[in-house]
Amino acid sequence: MKHGALAILPLAAGAALYGFAFGLLAAQVGFPWWGIGLMSASVHAGSSQIVAVEQFAGGGALIGAVLAGAALNLRYIGIAASLSGLLSHLPLPKKLLAIHMTGDENWALTMSQRAQNPAIGADFLIGSGLVMILVWTTSTTLGALVGAVLPNLEALGLGFAFTAAFIAMARSLWPGLSKGAPWAAAFASSLMAGSFGLPQAYAIVFGAVIGLAVSYVMRKTRRALA
Amino acid sequence: MSVEHWVLIVALALAAFSIRVLGLFAGDRIRASRHAWMLDELPGLIVVSLVASALAGQNWLVWSAATVALATALVSNHVILTMVLGMASFAALSWFFS
Repeated sequence: MKHGALAILPLAAGAALYGFAFGLLAAQVGFPWWGIGLMSASVHAGSSQIVAVEQFAGGGALIGAVLAGAALNLRYIGIAASLSGLLSHLPLPKKLLAIHMTGDENWALTMSQRAQNPAIGADFLIGSGLVMILVWTTSTTLGALVGAVLPNLEALGLGFAFTAAFIAMARSLWPGLSKGAPWAAAFASSLMAGSFGLPQAYAIVFGAVIGLAVSYVMRKTRRALA
Repeated sequence: MSVEHWVLIVALALAAFSIRVLGLFAGDRIRASRHAWMLDELPGLIVVSLVASALAGQNWLVWSAATVALATALVSNHVILTMVLGMASFAALSWFFS
């Protein structure tokens, strides 16, 4: 467990910076520091929390904020599935604790280390996950404490911070040019829907559905040509 | 903190945990189904739709700052740097043209 806790430290430092920035933004849109701490400890999913808080603060429907945040977590189905063998010998409570503490960083580190050394297992995952959730909760709470005492940062461009964060997330999720058409369709249709006055939550769903439809047609066409 | 804040946190926590549990116990079956491709595609499509809906109806200052943020993200692939340069360019443009 100690091995995992130490190995994750460089990645935890990056997450701390990101967490601090998120806490600061969340406090500026009205979340108390302890609410942010509670959210980070119980949700433990950075991008999902950012999306949900932004949608909520923007006056979107509560259900829309939850669904948008949850949809970003769908990748955890694959991540958790890949851990079923690694965690199979653990009792159920420990297994559930382990998957709650699993995030992108400690999962990727555990899998890459395990590929080189098969002895790396659940202890490494839990040790690194423990550090990550502690760092994430602490840094977001600290960010919220600082954000609560700062004046309104709108003049410093804070209103644009969430959009910039989404642009950065999109960059890291970019599937490559060959799969770019569904993204282009999603972007164009969401932009159009928003420009015609559709509320943001619906514009997002509309864009995602159009993107999925384009992807479906592309898959069908590719299969028919093969 | 209002009731809505509490509902958001509890619902998001339940959703996040349920997805992880679902993945642990049924992930292999879900990934083998013919709809599994949607799981891979949906997060990216949601995020790109978020960007578009945030830019819809905005003025050229916001679009210019978004261009700076996109260029930063393309070059650096770094979330904090993208946020800082995006915010700085938005603040500078707003100050200069106001």
